[in-house]
Amino acid sequence: MFDPTASIHRRTFLGRFGLSLGGAAVAGLLARDGMAATASSTGGGLDSDQFLGAIHPLHHSPKAKAVIFLCLAGGPSHLETFDPKPMLARLDGQEMPASVTAGQPIAQLQGKKLVCLGPRATFSQHKECGTSVSDFFPMIGSMADRYAIVRSMVTDQINHDPAHTFMNCGTALSGRPSMGAWVTYGLGSQAENLPGFVVMTSKLGRNPQPIASRQWHSAFLPGQFQGVEFSTSGSPVHYVNNVPGVSSSHQRDLIDTVTALEQHRLASVADPEIVTRIKQYELAFRMQTSVPQLADLSSETPETLALYGAEPGKATVGTNCLMARRLVERGVRFVHLYHSEWDHHGGIDKYMREICPPTDRAATALLTDLERRGLLSETLVIIGGEFGRTPMGQGQGAEIGRDHHIKGFSMLLAGGGIRGGISHGATDDFGYHAVQDIVHVRDLHATMLHLLGIDHAKFTVAHQGLDSKLTGVEPAKPVKAILR
Amino acid sequence: MNPSKGISGRLAWLWMVAVSLPSLVWATEKVPDFNRDIRPILSHTCFACHGPDAQNRQAGLRLDVRESATSQLDSGAVAIVPGSPDTSELIARIYDTDSDARMPPPESNHVLAAAQKEMLGLWIAAGARYDPHWAYVAPKRHSPPPAQRGDWSFNWIDAFVIGRLEAEGLAPSPDADPLTLLRRITFDLTGLPPSPAEVDAYLGDPRESRYEALVTRLLASPRHAERMAVWWLDLVRYADTVGYHGDQNHSISPYRDWVIKAFLDNIPFDRFTELQLAGDLVGPADGEHADDPVLASAYNRLLQTTHEGGLQPKEYRAIYQADRVRNVSGVWLGATVGCSQCHDHKYDPYTAKDFHTLGAFFADIDDESHFKNGANKIPTSRAPEKLVVGPFDRTKATEMASQIHSLENELPLHVLPPSIQPPEPETAEVISQRTLLLKLSADHKQLNREVMVTQSLATPRDVRILHRGNWMDETGPLVQPAIPVFLGSLNTKDRATRADLAQWLITPVARGGCGELTSRVMVNRIWSLLFGEGLCRSTSDFGGQGEPPDDPALLDRLALEWVASDWDLRQLIRTIVFSRTYRQSSNASADLLARDPDNRLLARQGRWRLPAEGVRDTVLYVSGLLVEQLGGVSVHPYQPAGYYQHLNFPQREYNVDTDSRQWRRGLYVHWQRMFLHPQLLAFDAPSREECTATRMRSNTPRAALVLLNDPTFVEAARMLAERAITTGGPTDDTRIECLWRQTVSREPDSHERSLVKGLLARRRAEFKADPNAAVQLLSVGLARSDASIDQVELAAWTAAARVVLNLHEAIARY
Repeated sequence: MFDPTASIHRRTFLGRFGLSLGGAAVAGLLARDGMAATASSTGGGLDSDQFLGAIHPLHHSPKAKAVIFLCLAGGPSHLETFDPKPMLARLDGQEMPASVTAGQPIAQLQGKKLVCLGPRATFSQHKECGTSVSDFFPMIGSMADRYAIVRSMVTDQINHDPAHTFMNCGTALSGRPSMGAWVTYGLGSQAENLPGFVVMTSKLGRNPQPIASRQWHSAFLPGQFQGVEFSTSGSPVHYVNNVPGVSSSHQRDLIDTVTALEQHRLASVADPEIVTRIKQYELAFRMQTSVPQLADLSSETPETLALYGAEPGKATVGTNCLMARRLVERGVRFVHLYHSEWDHHGGIDKYMREICPPTDRAATALLTDLERRGLLSETLVIIGGEFGRTPMGQGQGAEIGRDHHIKGFSMLLAGGGIRGGISHGATDDFGYHAVQDIVHVRDLHATMLHLLGIDHAKFTVAHQGLDSKLTGVEPAKPVKAILR
Repeated sequence: MNPSKGISGRLAWLWMVAVSLPSLVWATEKVPDFNRDIRPILSHTCFACHGPDAQNRQAGLRLDVRESATSQLDSGAVAIVPGSPDTSELIARIYDTDSDARMPPPESNHVLAAAQKEMLGLWIAAGARYDPHWAYVAPKRHSPPPAQRGDWSFNWIDAFVIGRLEAEGLAPSPDADPLTLLRRITFDLTGLPPSPAEVDAYLGDPRESRYEALVTRLLASPRHAERMAVWWLDLVRYADTVGYHGDQNHSISPYRDWVIKAFLDNIPFDRFTELQLAGDLVGPADGEHADDPVLASAYNRLLQTTHEGGLQPKEYRAIYQADRVRNVSGVWLGATVGCSQCHDHKYDPYTAKDFHTLGAFFADIDDESHFKNGANKIPTSRAPEKLVVGPFDRTKATEMASQIHSLENELPLHVLPPSIQPPEPETAEVISQRTLLLKLSADHKQLNREVMVTQSLATPRDVRILHRGNWMDETGPLVQPAIPVFLGSLNTKDRATRADLAQWLITPVARGGCGELTSRVMVNRIWSLLFGEGLCRSTSDFGGQGEPPDDPALLDRLALEWVASDWDLRQLIRTIVFSRTYRQSSNASADLLARDPDNRLLARQGRWRLPAEGVRDTVLYVSGLLVEQLGGVSVHPYQPAGYYQHLNFPQREYNVDTDSRQWRRGLYVHWQRMFLHPQLLAFDAPSREECTATRMRSNTPRAALVLLNDPTFVEAARMLAERAITTGGPTDDTRIECLWRQTVSREPDSHERSLVKGLLARRRAEFKADPNAAVQLLSVGLARSDASIDQVELAAWTAAARVVLNLHEAIARY
């Protein structure tokens, strides 16, 4: 017999979630609706401790269980990091051929003369793999056999805010879930008493580009998949510390009394939402203990702290990379680190000298530490910005820099299922256009999901009439060439 | 077409018919309904390739139009042969055993369930009748279905509901008990719970008409206007900041005041619409203040904007246009026209041209100077802006102006201007008058607030069809403002304006508008505020990918009645809440839950956690902290330190309000698009970047942490504790009663009493041993406590108050 709900199951799913039934009830709905057709069946309700993800079982066997995305926010220059361009060095000071730039989007160089700026860094070949990496990154360069460099990234958005949104949400439109929300929704979290998606930020303190919480929003996915901002200074998570004058035993007493009252009430109203709420209060209380424990780095050895260049209590890239390891160790699915101040319109030489060493150390430490703990093989590490920078210079003399660039830039991927020691794709001789094996942001998303055991095309949630995907409506494919 | 594939399909069909006789028997009783049963399948599974989008249509097959679907294709086949499933290529292909030929193809990631295939076959067998999509057909006046229990009904809404329930073999739930109903209606209409005095008065009121009187009182209250404003501000994406890049404040709060005032005055919705879209063009009507159209039409400036360095003006021109098209179509048409920005809509009959012609209505709006002169300051500038007095300050401003005027006349001339040193000593009276004058002038100036306004350019910007949405491609044809072609056309002498668009949205269908369609979108949303879900669940998508309404006849009737009432919103709400359907209990038996888990048949009321503002307002209200004042600039309640650390250009300091603004209702909280206040965020308030017709209702540990530890709620607990101690009588029992009556409007039972007494005893002991802890707890928040109350006692009661404020019942609507 025809089941009238079958044809509309995906479209109504979120609507039903919005009806705000408890976890058990939602699980029942999902099972009854046959979410299996798209997002598979779920283990446990969305609100339950046992939620095993919307994609359960996974579409294929996963290579990675967690993702650490170190976002070098502001748009680091590929030409001074991972994409050597000897020809551009020879063209230094010459006008960029109009044929290269005609009809191209231009940011701050609109209406300006476009002059080639040779790479401001030397490059060295590393290990037997022969990958060339800039000498701004000597330590990460020495680990070239552990990661793949994609040198043919392209994106659609040339201004910071929409470019971050595009990199994180797969579209520049506001109101779409970020990739961390997608991943935790798809896989669930294995972290006990911690959120599945954690965001941390660091900056040098100069004048960084803003970052919007849109970058870790759950949008139309359920609220529990929203990224939670952790801070390495002050209260690690908003409202996680007890109120002044309230001891831990007081707080426990409070929650126990609330729970007893809720259970008593449940007998007369049978409201599944109360059942869910009892669980959330218990989880909240446990988070009040587990989060400060997590943020306490005193259990780390001096050697480890030095390895990362971590400074307990200070939100540096080193501290945050160490925290990222601690988070994935505890089963957190997605750690998004923003390290700001890569927006080098001017003074690229001095600012790169300032920002690269701590980043080099922290990123190297992260890969090293994950590897020695046996975590690298199951953790996908992605390092890169929201776009690259122009082969054309901006400004003059010592204050010279580069403008935003979206038609070719680089990204580094390591760990969980990635082939080490390779570079993939290429830009033209100017470092302007990606010309070989072009990898779009949506291909990066498809690759990430693939490594996590998810077919990006089948991971959809109905929103406003569309089967929304992280990878959007245009074709996308995993970059198989960089997979092990 | 490959004949062998056709045969395999036919065999499959014959086989299916042979083995599924019961379905056929069923089918003769109940032919599939196109809108309810068939369109959702076709839309979801087929239209992306065989639907409205001409550019991406495959095999020349179009299944959304019957003429095309039943015509011979280039291949020679006919997709749908009415009455003959076994010769219909559609059936052959969906049953094809060859995966290369089977539809839908694997790469679509769509799979048709057996029941869906069967349904398609039955529908073709019955003649493949197409009906126009329900949302594009003008509402019809249907009679309610016949019902045995006609006497159950209070009004015509109930007649529809009981008829449907009886057809399904269900009975309505009993009426909610009076207290539950009182709390429900008070929350629904005002966003606040009833006070204990209101509870007593209502329960003690012997009149049969007490409920009607209550509804009348609530609907007329300013609180109701504030509650409705929250709903509207979500739709039109009202926020205090620009939303992109530096997310600076922009000047817009007077628009919010206008919205509240409009609900307070119960402005008819047609005028409400016209003023917002085109107030600047149509000007004030009789009885309206000259500023009303100015404030209302600030609607056109609510979108996200940017002045990020390196922005490409033409790119943002396209982005702004798309933002406006998404919003106007989402709010008034319940349509996703934004989906046709790059190509014709995949599921609905909106073309890419429609997207651009709709955008062209807004091409006259002067709003690009900030690309060059938007400033990195708070607030930033978004010219054109204007100084106005908010609608709630007008009387005060007029009084002050006349006071200033008379003072100026009274004072000796030489003291003006005040900066000039008077030549001789002044009398005390002159000095005091002059001081008063200076203060009045300053206060008067404060009442003038900047607001972004809508002004037409002398020449509207050109609007071109941007191929694939690409703003750099300027080869597309120029277009003029026009409504979506499939919905008709506007007969205007000159270039159509925003005023024409507004008129079309509110003019009845019989007179060339789409008023009843607009009405249907809106009444559905009002229904959702009062039942938790719309009669059509997809409140923001009335297109083919949305859900068909659960009760189309009732929805149609509501839409027609609303237009007939001259768009009287209060009358509409009154009608709905007077129904017996609304007054049912929200308790569902296990049987009913199993039978209708989503409450599509309305055999009970809904139950849900209050929206974010409701949570805040309720807690402040029951503690006695809530400061009720209509309108004004946005307010800044306690917020975690450093929450805005990622904002820049300029760097942001959050200045917590230290006066009465600290305790105002949630709708006045500063709405930072990039970093919404965590208290609001934890309870699913939207960022207001896009139109939100239905909020999520999550239930997370983070929400628990906010209710437990946010200083707003801890402070409120202290004030509620003080209230219990000072007004709750002499004993623990009477004080616990006070807590319960304030927060959940009822008496605690003995078990509840003993649980709280246990907690009280333990906390008293702790605070007695550690009085410093008591002092610390009592120091949370700016509100002063009664110093005569024993600190240990107050701290212990604060703990008890935290308990009751954290009960689900306190913030849930049943």
